[in-house]
Amino acid sequence: MLDYALKKSVQLVVTIFGVVTLVFFTLRLIPGDAASAMAGDTMSGEALELLREQMGLNEPILAQYAAYLRDLVTLDLGQTITTRLPVAEMIGKAIPVTLSIAVLTIVLTVIISIPLGTVAAYMAHKGRARLDNLLTGFAMIVDLMPSFWTALVFLLLFSLTLGWFPASGMVSLDDPAVFLSRIALPVLVLSVTQIATMARITRTSVLEILSEDYVRTARAMGWSEFRVLFRHALKNAALPIATVIGLSFGNLLNGTVIVEFIFTIPGIGNLLINGINSRDYQLVQTLIVFYALLFVTINFITDIVYRALDPRVTF
Amino acid sequence: MANETADIRQPRLRLPALSLPRDGVWGNRKVQIALMILGPILVLTALAPLLPLQAPLETNLRATMEPPSIVHPFGTDRMGRDVLSRTLEGVKVSLLVGFSVATIALVAGMIFGTLAGFFGGMIDRIVMTIVDIFLAFPSLLLAIGLVAIVGTGLVPVIAAIAMADVPRFIRLQRSQVLSLRSRAFIDAARTVNASQGWMMTRHIIPNTVAPMLVAASIASANAILVEASLSFLGLGIMPPAPSLGNIIRDGQTYLQQAWWISTLPGIVILLIAFSLHFLSDGIREELDPRARK
Repeated sequence: MLDYALKKSVQLVVTIFGVVTLVFFTLRLIPGDAASAMAGDTMSGEALELLREQMGLNEPILAQYAAYLRDLVTLDLGQTITTRLPVAEMIGKAIPVTLSIAVLTIVLTVIISIPLGTVAAYMAHKGRARLDNLLTGFAMIVDLMPSFWTALVFLLLFSLTLGWFPASGMVSLDDPAVFLSRIALPVLVLSVTQIATMARITRTSVLEILSEDYVRTARAMGWSEFRVLFRHALKNAALPIATVIGLSFGNLLNGTVIVEFIFTIPGIGNLLINGINSRDYQLVQTLIVFYALLFVTINFITDIVYRALDPRVTF
Repeated sequence: MANETADIRQPRLRLPALSLPRDGVWGNRKVQIALMILGPILVLTALAPLLPLQAPLETNLRATMEPPSIVHPFGTDRMGRDVLSRTLEGVKVSLLVGFSVATIALVAGMIFGTLAGFFGGMIDRIVMTIVDIFLAFPSLLLAIGLVAIVGTGLVPVIAAIAMADVPRFIRLQRSQVLSLRSRAFIDAARTVNASQGWMMTRHIIPNTVAPMLVAASIASANAILVEASLSFLGLGIMPPAPSLGNIIRDGQTYLQQAWWISTLPGIVILLIAFSLHFLSDGIREELDPRARK
């Protein structure tokens, strides 16, 4: 186990190093350089030269790279070009917002999709395929709805027509009630897609286990169907389900960018889009690296936990 | 068991010439449903210039934000442009993006995946390290990051989305090649002194094509969704050129006054993505009998 974890950690470090390097050198590929791309047509030669100096673009490229690595490690992320705010502080403020959306989505998804998928599997197992077909068909359609479109339809329906949720307004963590009412709709939008995926996965894994011998044994022992389904079948299907929850985190991150944009929520996704629109490469580069770090770390943890929990995998 | 044998022995009914084929890929129900949705969309898109519709870029300020009617089946937007005609133009972009991305990913995945899997060793390690680095980015975010650097427009968008897909295809192809490499027929080829190039192109690649095609058709559906997302975020196809994503973005501001601008093109994206997934499901069922329920 320890060997495996160690091997995986080394791989993780290599990947992270690769990500950082890739982002750094890709940014140097911008025609001209980052400073002139940032400035657009708004700056004169001297101001541009000053910006270049500030960004350290006049140094040799390897020195720039070393400085960049040092800054990343010490979290000295510089200032944004447009607002002159420290990048680290801006990202620090935005992270809790995005993470609360992500975590709430996962919680809601688990609560709804796992019972739903289990019941669908049970129906399929018992040959009552119609409800199962309906459920899987519905899950497939929902799964393919572009999240920005779902968001707009929900916005139209629940905010603008029914008035259940505010469509805009301040988002601040200081007032939990207001905060929750603002992120409720984004969480709902993301959950719908996630629920569809998770319910389908749950259905497949539970269905597979329902035809195992030990399930038949449990039935033969006279346990109630409910107990067989949730104690015996679901428990054994839990591991692959948990893995998929971990792996779907990437999709979830993709989704947060879109809902934050639509519902104007000041998370890191919105920060990224604004950064791109104002050509703030300092900010964009840091955010992309951050997303990748978050994603690979979650994948790493999922992998290790899976290995640690599955008694069949020995080392 | 007895019943099944009886069924097989029953004489097959002769089908009239025009009825749907019963077997093979064309006889698969999912494939048929997919084509029934995709077909009309393709025909409408191809015939768009011939239809009695306003041109996609033509504005008419006397007929702005009109609800769907016979003249404008999808209504008009804030500049009086016909939403259906713009949507069909957008479908063209979507299909082009989907097809190009799938082709690039398929070809690049085949080449690098085969090389990495067949030769192993150093080549494999280098290719897979690079693949892992690219897979460290959530796909939409990688595309966003790349578009931020290379700029917006059709070609950059295709390149950015393909960049996110190629590593996945390399990985799939590599794992297939790895399992084929140790099969007896490759050993047989080796014993008759077949060259490595011959083994790769004649023995390995043909056996990997089917799963790769299934993956490609899913990738094309995803590419269409990602392009729409990018354009929606203002990082893809730039207006006034229509794309399904930027039409929906345009309509966002007028959601309450003119729901049709955003909603209807969204349904079209959904139909396209749905039918492409159904198509790949159906093809897989036909190629791999185990996938059949």
